[in-house]
Amino acid sequence: MRFIWISAWKDLLRLRREPVALLTWIAIPTFVVIILTLVFGPGGSRPHGTLFIADEDGGIGAGMLASAFSQGALGQMLTIEKVGAEAGRRRLDRGEGSALLIVPPGFTASFIAARPVTLDLVRNPSQRILPDMIQESLAIMLDRAASFQGAGGSQALQLVTNVIPDKSEQPGGFAALLLPGALFMAIFFIAGALAADVWRERSSGALRRIATTPASLGAFLAGKLLASALVFSVIGAFGLLVARQLMNLRIANLPAAVLWIAASGCALYLLIMIVQSAASSERVASMLTNFVTLPLVMLGGGFVPFEWMPRKLATIGQWTPNGWCVIELRAVLAGEMRITAAAIVAAFITAAWLIGVRNIRRLAC
Amino acid sequence: MIEVQQLRKQYGGLIAVRDVSFTARPGEIFGLLGPNGAGKTTTIGCISALLAPSSGEIRVMGHDVVHDAVAARRSLGVVPQELALYDDLSARENLAYWGGAQGLRGAKLRERIQAALDLTGLLDRAREPVKRFSGGMKRRLNFACGIVHRPQVLLLDEPTVGVDPQSRVRLLELVREQARSGACVLYTTHYMEEAESLCDRLGIIDHGRIIAQGTLRELRAMVGERDLLRLTGVFQPETVRQALACVEGVEILHADEGQLSLSMSDASHRLPVIFGALNGSEVRGTTLTQPSLESLFIKLTGTELRE
Repeated sequence: MRFIWISAWKDLLRLRREPVALLTWIAIPTFVVIILTLVFGPGGSRPHGTLFIADEDGGIGAGMLASAFSQGALGQMLTIEKVGAEAGRRRLDRGEGSALLIVPPGFTASFIAARPVTLDLVRNPSQRILPDMIQESLAIMLDRAASFQGAGGSQALQLVTNVIPDKSEQPGGFAALLLPGALFMAIFFIAGALAADVWRERSSGALRRIATTPASLGAFLAGKLLASALVFSVIGAFGLLVARQLMNLRIANLPAAVLWIAASGCALYLLIMIVQSAASSERVASMLTNFVTLPLVMLGGGFVPFEWMPRKLATIGQWTPNGWCVIELRAVLAGEMRITAAAIVAAFITAAWLIGVRNIRRLAC
Repeated sequence: MIEVQQLRKQYGGLIAVRDVSFTARPGEIFGLLGPNGAGKTTTIGCISALLAPSSGEIRVMGHDVVHDAVAARRSLGVVPQELALYDDLSARENLAYWGGAQGLRGAKLRERIQAALDLTGLLDRAREPVKRFSGGMKRRLNFACGIVHRPQVLLLDEPTVGVDPQSRVRLLELVREQARSGACVLYTTHYMEEAESLCDRLGIIDHGRIIAQGTLRELRAMVGERDLLRLTGVFQPETVRQALACVEGVEILHADEGQLSLSMSDASHRLPVIFGALNGSEVRGTTLTQPSLESLFIKLTGTELRE
């Protein structure tokens, strides 16, 4: 056990002596966030989003509204998805859509009978333009429907649109959209750089030498994981606190979020380390890392949030390892702790650690 | 003590080490002398439990390296051919890491680090990052990392490769000191002079097989009191063999179109006769060597060690 700390301390000391590489990997996503914020930040415009419609009425009213939102230019910017009201709220909490429109029971009947009826619209606080457009368009639709009702019937239709602000509605919503992806971009890059160290140690003969000592290679790798976890924790905590301070990011549970970043970062580290250690040389390992990392970072919401991606690409991205970590981090930031996700990461780390030890042993020989 | 019995290491169809047996005792420097690719590093890899032998038995201080690897490793110190150091750490931090890997801690670790730095003459540079060290200093630190825990058995895999003469002398003296303090030292090299000046006993290894072993005196006796005469130039091997067949006491160790290696006693007085016999050949260079390991190696393998 003691050697785990010795191994971790050695890696931390080395990182402290060569901080430039680490800072470079942090700087890249920072610049990405800054640029995206400047271009698309609050007050900017977005090309695409999702409108959830919870049809509790079951009549034709919800269908008419859905088809109205699917028409023309609005239809090109919005994907309409029918959901249950609670599921819609949860997904909105995770930032997966622009707004949730709840069509209440009896809506169609009330509309036909020209009775007052209330539509609830829940907006995604991390977005501005699309929810505004949805709300504006809905108001226009309802106005027109009221005019039609007024022209066709003796009693004027009274429709009330009730916009319910989400509990997380605050100026920092944009950060919630960008930060998790950017953080995991940094974590992924740093994990790649840290994992490459195994090849450097192999080239220098240090790996071979450590394999001739009584210290176990399992402890050696565990030490590397511990050092990586500490680095990821510091970066995660720093990134989250800065985002909270500067961008009003809502953090429901900071320790849990940091813990999640550290644990999932270790899983990503092991993933890259296994890929690298399967390579035939240090050069091939480096190429493999870039080949794996860059597409995953792009797909996994690193450069562009899922909400801004075409739907199919976003779906694929959310199932990439880092994309999944981003989605789960958003859930943690929103105050939703998922035991299953933690269990999946713990199981992956255990399995990957075993494979990693075997690969390191092979490299050492 | 190292006891190697019928060690064989095979990679698929390639036999890297075949039926190697030797014993190295405490206080003794046992040398494995052979060209690159002869199987020296593989042998060390098996002894340090890094590689699993295909067959045979290895014991380090009585511990079987296959079945009791951790106990065997506790007795071992390994100085690899590569500079197995962390360049961005200081000498002291490197020693702390490798000492820690050997299970040292606290005051004992600090005391051993101090002693290793003192022994290798690096005390005044202990806090500097290793990347600022000269090649010779790195070699000494590499050595220090292998002995920081005062191992009973020290494995040195060509530790002087690429080292300047001054540092080499210093390193060899450090190795002698380890043996004098009772450690059993296994030293691999492809430098004849180093093996001759350093080792108490030697095994000559080629193509994975030990072709001769014993003390320097015993090995030299295998060559006899014969000099080694090496001629370079343009030769026709068959013609040369016929021509030299009539010169009494000359043994042809090796003959090709560009080089001749001959063994004979009192070579300096017989040069005129040799040149007379080689009248039809074009001799461009002559080297005369006293009886040595080199002549033994050529006698046993038919090739020079550095080939």
